[in-house]
Amino acid sequence: MQGKAAVVGIGETTYYKRGESPKTEFQLASEAIGKAVEDAGLELKDIDGVTSYMESRNDPGRLSAALGMKNVAFAAQPWGGGGNGVAASVALADAAISAGYAKNVVVFRALAQGQFGRFGQSKPRTHAYGNSAYSAVYGFLSPAHVCAMQTTRFMHEYGVTQDSLAEIALAASAHAQLNPRALRYGKPLSRQQYHDSRWIAKPFHLYDCCPENDGATAIVVTTRERARDLKQKPVPILAAAQGLGKRDGALIFNEPAFPTSFNREVGQQIWERAGIQPKDVQVAQFYENFTGPVLMAITEMGFCKPEEINEFVANGNIQGPGGKLPINTSGGNLAECYIHGFELINEAVRQVRGQSTCQVPDVEHSLVVSGPGFSPGSAVLFSSD
Amino acid sequence: MSRYMPDGWALPAIDNKNRDFFTSGKIVVQACKDCDTVQHPPEDICHVCQGSALESRFCSGEGTVYSHIVVEHPIPGSLKDRVPYAVILVSLTDHPQIRILGNPVNIEARDVAVGQKVRAVFESLEDKEAGLELKIPQWEVIQT
Ligand SMILES: [Zn+2]
Repeated sequence: MQGKAAVVGIGETTYYKRGESPKTEFQLASEAIGKAVEDAGLELKDIDGVTSYMESRNDPGRLSAALGMKNVAFAAQPWGGGGNGVAASVALADAAISAGYAKNVVVFRALAQGQFGRFGQSKPRTHAYGNSAYSAVYGFLSPAHVCAMQTTRFMHEYGVTQDSLAEIALAASAHAQLNPRALRYGKPLSRQQYHDSRWIAKPFHLYDCCPENDGATAIVVTTRERARDLKQKPVPILAAAQGLGKRDGALIFNEPAFPTSFNREVGQQIWERAGIQPKDVQVAQFYENFTGPVLMAITEMGFCKPEEINEFVANGNIQGPGGKLPINTSGGNLAECYIHGFELINEAVRQVRGQSTCQVPDVEHSLVVSGPGFSPGSAVLFSSD
Repeated sequence: MSRYMPDGWALPAIDNKNRDFFTSGKIVVQACKDCDTVQHPPEDICHVCQGSALESRFCSGEGTVYSHIVVEHPIPGSLKDRVPYAVILVSLTDHPQIRILGNPVNIEARDVAVGQKVRAVFESLEDKEAGLELKIPQWEVIQT
C-alpha cells in the first residue's frame, strides 16, 4: 500500500499569538484549506475527503457545506485528543486514497484559542473524578506535568543533561530566524536566556514549553497517478505508522516501558514498511510539546541509543541546513507556530519540494513524528520519489 | 496531618473502584482473585487473565521515588501561594512494577530526588458533601 498516495498541495494562514487572530477558527480552517487546494491546482469542489485530529471543532459537514464541496466520500479522525494524532491524520488520508475511498483528501488543523479558550488545562473543581482522582488530587494537572514526570526519569536513567533539553529549544529558535512566517522570527534565543528563564515544572524551563497560538494549516492528498497532472512536484507518502507497545496504554505511568514517548512501536513499524533505516532520513520534524519528550522520541524512533542522546543533539548536529539531522527546520511548535503540530507536516513537505527557509540539501526522506508522551504515537515519512 | 495541597483543593470523587484507595488508610493495589496479578489504577478486568474477580490488596506502604516534578508555575492561578510543590511517582517495594502518584510531605519540594526511600502517611479529610471520611495516601521521605 505504501507510496500510492502523495501530498500535492500545502497551505497555511498567517500565524498569530494566542487570541490575536482577527478571524474565527472556521475562517482560518477554510482559508488554509483553500490555499492548499489552490497550491495543488485543484478546486474546492474536487475535494471529497476530510481528515483531522484532536477532536476538531470544524466538522466535515459544516466545512463541506461552506466550501462548496460536491460530496464527501471519506471523513475521519484518529482516536485520542492530542498532538499524538498529527501523523495519524495523514495516515488516514493515505489509507483512504490508497483504498480508493476518496479522490482528493484534505487534512488540516485550525485553532483560535481566543475564541475557544485554552486547551489542555484541567481545572478541577471540588472533586476529581475517575482516574484523574489519582493525579489531580495531588496537584498533577497538565500535559507539562505529564511530560516533566517522564523526562525526569529519562534524564536520571541515561544521564541526560539540561543542556540537551536546551538544544531542542535552541534549534527551533535558530531555524525560526530564517523563517519570516515564524512568530519567533527576529527574536533569537541564547543558551543563557534558556537557562535563566523561569521554571514551569522542573525539569522544564519556560523555553522547554511550546506556546499557544492561533492559525491553520492544511494539505491535500491524492494518488500519485493523479498527482502527475497537477501543479506541484508530488511528495509521496512512503509510509505512516500509529501504534502502542504492550500495555503502553496503562494509566498513570504504569506502562512497563515508562519512561516512553510511545514511539517504540511506531519506529519499528515505519522503517519496516518504508524499507529504509533512520540513517536514510535527511531531515525530521519532531512535535515539541516539551523538549524532553522530543529527546525520548529521537531515541525511540531509532536515531540513536538513549545513552547517546546528549552527543546526538550537541554541537549543532540537529541544526540546519548543515547538521547531521536537522530537526524542526521551520522553527516548529516552539518557534514557528503551534498549530498543534500540523505546521510540521507542511514543513516536511516543503523540505522534499526544496522550498524550506532552512532547506536541507538532497532530501530523499523527510520524517514527521507526532506529539510524544501521549499514546498512541504516530509518524509519517515522505519521500522524493 | 494537614493537607499538602491547600484547603479546598479538589477531593477524590469516591467510586466503587477507588473507595479503598482513598478511605482505607492503607496503600492499596487491585489484585486478581484468579491469577494473583496486581495492577494500578483499578481496572474492570485483570490485564493478564481478563477475569473480573478483583479485590483490594493492602501493601506495606513502603516505596522508592521513581520520578518526580517540581511545580513552579501555578495552574490554576489559585495555587500561586502553594508553589513550589512536588509530585512524586512512587514505585512500591512490595510490587515495584506498580507506580502511584503522591506528594512528599516532609521535605522541601526542590530537595526531592530519584531513589529516595518513602513511607506512606495519610491525610485525614472530611468530604462533607459526600458524607465521607477520606484517608488520602501521601509519602514521607525516610532516607535521602
Ligand atoms: Zn487475572
